[in-house]
Amino acid sequence: MRYLTPLAIAFTLLVACSCTEAQSAATKPKPAGNADNGKRVFASAGCTACHGAQGQGTSLAPQIAPPPELPALIGYVRQPTGKMPPVPVATASDQDIADIFAFLKSVAPAPTAGESLTGNADNGKRLFASYGCYECHGRQGAGAAIAPRVGPPAISFAAFLRYVRTPTGQMPPYTAKVVSDQDLADIYTFLKSFPPPAPASSIPLLKQ
Amino acid sequence: MGKSKKNSVNRRDFLKTAAAGTAALVVAPGAAKAATPEPRRNAAAPPLLKAVAADAPSSAEVLTVDRPGSDFMVDVLKSLDFEYLCANPGNSFRSLHESLINYGNNQKPEFITCCHEESSVAMGHGYAKIEGKPLLVCVHGTVGLQHASMAIYDAFCDRVPVYIILGNFSDAAVRFGQVDWTHSAQDPAAMIRDYVKWDDNPISLQAFAESAVRAYKVATTPPMMPVALVAGHELQENPVPDGANMSVPKLSMTSPPTGDSGAVAEAARLLVAAENPVLVTDRVARTSAGLARMIELAEVLQAPVVDRNGRMNFPTRHPLNHTERGGAAIAGADVVAGLELTDFWSAVNSVHGQVKPEFRPATKPGTKLISITANDLYLKSNYQDFQRYQPVDLAIAADAEATLPSLIEAVKRQITDDRKRAFADRGTKHAAAHQQAMQAAREAATSGWDGSPISTARMSAELWAQIKDEDWSLVSNCQFVSRWPLRLWDFNKHYHYIGAEGGYGVGYGAPASVGAALANRKHGRLTVSIQNDGDLMFAPGVLWTAAHSRIPLLIIMHNNRAYNQELMQIQIMAGQHNRGITRAGIGNTLVDPAIDYAQLAQSMGMHGEGPIADPKDLAPAIRRAIEVVKRGDPALVDVLTQPR
Repeated sequence: MRYLTPLAIAFTLLVACSCTEAQSAATKPKPAGNADNGKRVFASAGCTACHGAQGQGTSLAPQIAPPPELPALIGYVRQPTGKMPPVPVATASDQDIADIFAFLKSVAPAPTAGESLTGNADNGKRLFASYGCYECHGRQGAGAAIAPRVGPPAISFAAFLRYVRTPTGQMPPYTAKVVSDQDLADIYTFLKSFPPPAPASSIPLLKQ
Repeated sequence: MGKSKKNSVNRRDFLKTAAAGTAALVVAPGAAKAATPEPRRNAAAPPLLKAVAADAPSSAEVLTVDRPGSDFMVDVLKSLDFEYLCANPGNSFRSLHESLINYGNNQKPEFITCCHEESSVAMGHGYAKIEGKPLLVCVHGTVGLQHASMAIYDAFCDRVPVYIILGNFSDAAVRFGQVDWTHSAQDPAAMIRDYVKWDDNPISLQAFAESAVRAYKVATTPPMMPVALVAGHELQENPVPDGANMSVPKLSMTSPPTGDSGAVAEAARLLVAAENPVLVTDRVARTSAGLARMIELAEVLQAPVVDRNGRMNFPTRHPLNHTERGGAAIAGADVVAGLELTDFWSAVNSVHGQVKPEFRPATKPGTKLISITANDLYLKSNYQDFQRYQPVDLAIAADAEATLPSLIEAVKRQITDDRKRAFADRGTKHAAAHQQAMQAAREAATSGWDGSPISTARMSAELWAQIKDEDWSLVSNCQFVSRWPLRLWDFNKHYHYIGAEGGYGVGYGAPASVGAALANRKHGRLTVSIQNDGDLMFAPGVLWTAAHSRIPLLIIMHNNRAYNQELMQIQIMAGQHNRGITRAGIGNTLVDPAIDYAQLAQSMGMHGEGPIADPKDLAPAIRRAIEVVKRGDPALVDVLTQPR
């Protein structure tokens, strides 16, 4: 038996710390954001170490430019799974993340034809099971110690598509020969149907 | 019935040789009560035996034996204070079996009937990690030993003592027939010699006594490992020879090897001088004292502990437990002390890459490495469980738990007031980082919280809610449930966790849990196992053993209906080979039909319910099962779970 190393399949990012939900609830960041400040925080918070200076991805972590929708990005950096450590508000406020969001959008490569596809969630659900994605990521994409949460996705469809084609760690590559762009659009749409998880503070069993 | 065969020395004579406290242990007459067994050999002799008897001298006197050698073997084994004997019966040790239950009165050891030799040994494996000493396992000749071999390998890799007696028809001239030949070997222990610490094949009863005591000492001296002793069929069944002057040697336990004082002082110097020392633990704490000393060492240094969880080394909620952020802790360390690490290399290196592994240091340049392990004292060649060679700056070949007192004292002697203040400062930071990591784990646990199949985080949290106020003991590996218990529960006693299989051999989980529960029974602990479905199917008969022997154990099935670890591996291969990604389940899944573990448990005579797919149904089911366990019986709750 060979164990998968926990770091191998991970979407890796930034530095360790915990999350507080206070700021997210108190102030709503402006999606427009300040790309210049975003670039500065992206570097100062250590994001570049794993995701590259332009969010283009490295062997340690996937491409994140363009980013997913802002709420999903904030939700994931506060409550990541896999190797990606959580980013506390003290390191990057929600507004900082909105600024990073703007920065990542500004440096994102032009989308390819496949990246503009729209998906079918029902078919995506079927494919998520039949293609074996659930084996590491769970039936609802909730993740596990060996693989990150992907439901909802923390990266844009463009980044998702590129990551599946050229992943890092032990995540196997899936070429267009075995999974079409349309299949991935369907899977992505299925995964987007899941809401971000509730904060631990709202679950009594996690206060024991 | 003819007369019994007589000998010129009676049992009292051969045991009455020395007083307590002398070099030889005397087994007092009557210590092992003869239960007046009725000789049965002539009454129920199989045809082959009758044929042999027909060829023998006609005197009926030879058909019974008053003092078989196996009685003396029982005296020897009783001197070693085994509580239990786990065995599947086999005629190569039939005389010893009969002596144990009649002459030995089935007490110390008490016979625990097992349905597979792998279960017998794995039960001994789990038992020893709770009780701190081996139990006795008997295996039948060649076939039983081959069944047992996988479990022996696990115990060997896990550095756990299991005491094994192998039956064998050593003398070819007196084998009764085809089966005896097939079940005999010229050198029975040869097949396991690569993964036992020591074995012997004594050819006299006195040699058996001495080797039996030696085997116990060898097995229980760190690094602990299984041992095997051949008990020849003839040695068991023949009467004690006339004029035998035998004794049972006194067992004097060997003190564990401790670190050289100079080396320990140097380790202390490095640790005290370090700005960011990190203690990495794997199989350090065997006892409550070992756990307490690990806490003391960490606290006196205010050094974080990264636990690899081979044993219950450090409380999960202690502010210095940094296992959850182990990579970051080790990356920032200037001194890493590895205590009983199975694999030091992987503690300070990482593996990347897809098709071929790429290795990178996990420490910064110049980080000093200290190793304290008994593994440096004994190494086998063939099997590669010794892992990749890791150069270190200071290697102390000693048992880490036994070395902790002197290391702690050496550290205390070298700490100045300035260092104390620095330690206090970093302790505050470590406590904050621990809290952050724990909170991060709780946040991660929320993913898929209400999903079905049930997430392993939810299952672990539901289980914790039901057992946290009990005196509990988790005796299963947490690896396959994403380590959720270790991330969410409050582990703080040495029996709260016992690590994993050692050799990563599937099939360990169920029997080792039953063995650990057997050890916990007299302590009144609530023993809990999160049981992988694939593991249970290797030898599910151990459920019957648990029910039959009234071993209280709460089994929560992690039923993902697959050998999911291997399923993922085939998925990786299919992706890399660019084909067939929908077919990875072939050979890896346990569906069509799905296995009904509740019915399986019921069929073995124990409480079973499920499968439970809705997380809301879990708590009541666990409560019902706990009620059964508290009455002294095993119970199983089948839970349909996410893959990991």
